[in-house]
Amino acid sequence: MNTKRTEKRLERKNDQLMERSGNFENPFEAKGKYAKFTRLPIYLLTVVMIAPYYWMITSSFKSVKELQHVPPTLFPQKWISGNYYDTKYDPNMFQQDVLQGLFQRFTKVKFGFARFFLNSFFITTTITILTLLIGSLAAYVVAKHRFKAKRAIYLVIIGSMMIPWQVGLIPGFLLVDDLGWLNTFMAYIIPALPKAFIVFFLVQYLSSIPDELIEAARIDGAREWTIYFRIVLPLLKPAMIAMMIFTAIGEWNNFLWPLIITQSQDMANLPVALALLKNSGAGNIGTQGVIMAAALLVSLPTIILYFITQRHFIRGIALSGIK
Amino acid sequence: MATKEVDKTLNYIPTKKKGFYKFSDSGISSYVMLAPFVLLFIIWSVYPVLSSLRLSFMRYNAICDDVQAPCGSVGFGNYTYLILHDSRFHKAILNTSLYVIGAVTLGLIASLSLSLALQADNRANRVLRVIFFLPSVTSGIAVVLVWGWVFRGDDIGLLNSFLHMFGIDPVEWLATPSLAIPILIFMSIWGGAGFGMVLFLAGLNAIPAMYYEAAVIDGANRRERFRYITLPLLKPVMVYVVITGTIGAFQIFEGVYLLFPTSVGSIGGLKDMALMIVPYLYDMGFNHFRLGYASAVAWILFAIIFTISLINIRVTKSLEDLR
Repeated sequence: MNTKRTEKRLERKNDQLMERSGNFENPFEAKGKYAKFTRLPIYLLTVVMIAPYYWMITSSFKSVKELQHVPPTLFPQKWISGNYYDTKYDPNMFQQDVLQGLFQRFTKVKFGFARFFLNSFFITTTITILTLLIGSLAAYVVAKHRFKAKRAIYLVIIGSMMIPWQVGLIPGFLLVDDLGWLNTFMAYIIPALPKAFIVFFLVQYLSSIPDELIEAARIDGAREWTIYFRIVLPLLKPAMIAMMIFTAIGEWNNFLWPLIITQSQDMANLPVALALLKNSGAGNIGTQGVIMAAALLVSLPTIILYFITQRHFIRGIALSGIK
Repeated sequence: MATKEVDKTLNYIPTKKKGFYKFSDSGISSYVMLAPFVLLFIIWSVYPVLSSLRLSFMRYNAICDDVQAPCGSVGFGNYTYLILHDSRFHKAILNTSLYVIGAVTLGLIASLSLSLALQADNRANRVLRVIFFLPSVTSGIAVVLVWGWVFRGDDIGLLNSFLHMFGIDPVEWLATPSLAIPILIFMSIWGGAGFGMVLFLAGLNAIPAMYYEAAVIDGANRRERFRYITLPLLKPVMVYVVITGTIGAFQIFEGVYLLFPTSVGSIGGLKDMALMIVPYLYDMGFNHFRLGYASAVAWILFAIIFTISLINIRVTKSLEDLR
């Protein structure tokens, strides 16, 4: 009799637990009459998280006059597009409260600010495609081929991940200089191609794929390149997508290396162009609208890429973090 | 007949190895597939690291004119000067250490709390997770430019005009030495907490629900369940977050470069209040062209990161053995 009652109580308790939080018991999740208020800090933090983006967007549409207003207006009184392109701007005439729009600046550079978009886009896509191609080829060989010195090669590749990349910064710069590549796309692209982490990640991923799949293809007479393109690449797809997103976002936002190897404005990528823009209008509050417009345009592509590929992205991080 | 067929296929791996098959089961294609990555890796990862080690024992400035800018070996001179005499470098090490300690511990707490608060899988939490993760994909430079406006010293600065509502006088945020590191720590947590959160969420989801059920049956309360189930099982993730966070924090550059310039074109802000290791490396290498000296800075950075990672792994291991 007694045991039956205990059993029932346990069952009820268990049901409550499952109901409340799915598979998880959360110490932060309050019960009772204060439950609503415990979420308050999270919402306050959310405001802090969104505020910079909100400020980027709204102030890029404010007029010079409004930007100089003290205290700053929380919402644009009048939405204007002058920070991007001001039709009233005339280079031969000084006008109060009229500034060069973002796309009217950098007049010495062909295509102006759009040029930096083209640069960044070209650099990012080229690096992403090539680095994944050579990385996945190497990973396939390391994971599924048997040959001499394989372990040694892989060990060196993994070991290099322990060394902060700044260690190779100066010799890398000197090498680029010796090759005459300073201020060229070569300096952007070639040194960025061998990424140890991609090989490491893909080898990990490939090792969970049974060797039999590849052996079977070999027995059927498939050549190595056929195996790579027809079997390995399709199997690697989820891992490759995750690595693709990481590489693309990383290269798009890359700053220190581009800063070192660019010598003229027309070879800058977007982050370097942002820094140039900031230094050109430093201190003047009127140009902040233009700077915010640029910051917004630089941020948008990666944010959009993140929204599109969200599922792969999160899975990729989880895969790379917990192994 | 059938056995003969099988024999044939087994013989695919040649018994008498000739040519490239002597070294690899897959013949020359192993090497062809591995070559692009390995060659680029040797040129752009291995060589720069070795060359940097050589440079770190030299006085080197890329011009190497015997009269005006001599180059040559200095033995351990760079290192002894850095460690014993260079007060700017000491300042950089101190600043970086304070920054890393603050950013890593507070970042760990922030990302763990966030993951616990946003663990339940409902629509509101999914939206919040996306918002908290956004900074991880946003260009660091773009974000720093917004923070630059937030922390402006005059009354147009956002924080100052916010404080003005409460009657507080404007603060020179970026020109007050004691505030430089806290501001950089805040920026790092704003930018990095979402990434840690995603890792912790993956860790939380991997904990089987039955552990909690069993604990409930044993009469463990919420706090105990958190202490004895959640925390220990999250430890691998925690170690990963701490190690990657530490390595990342040591490499801080963009925030210092843009927010704390000095008038003479060097980095670090007023009285070097925000000088860090990598900005100092950049300053030595690319403002002063002391490339050998800067290489020594890079190797000290490596030594620090390497030691801390080792200690981290050792400590967690010995803690595990204690159980």
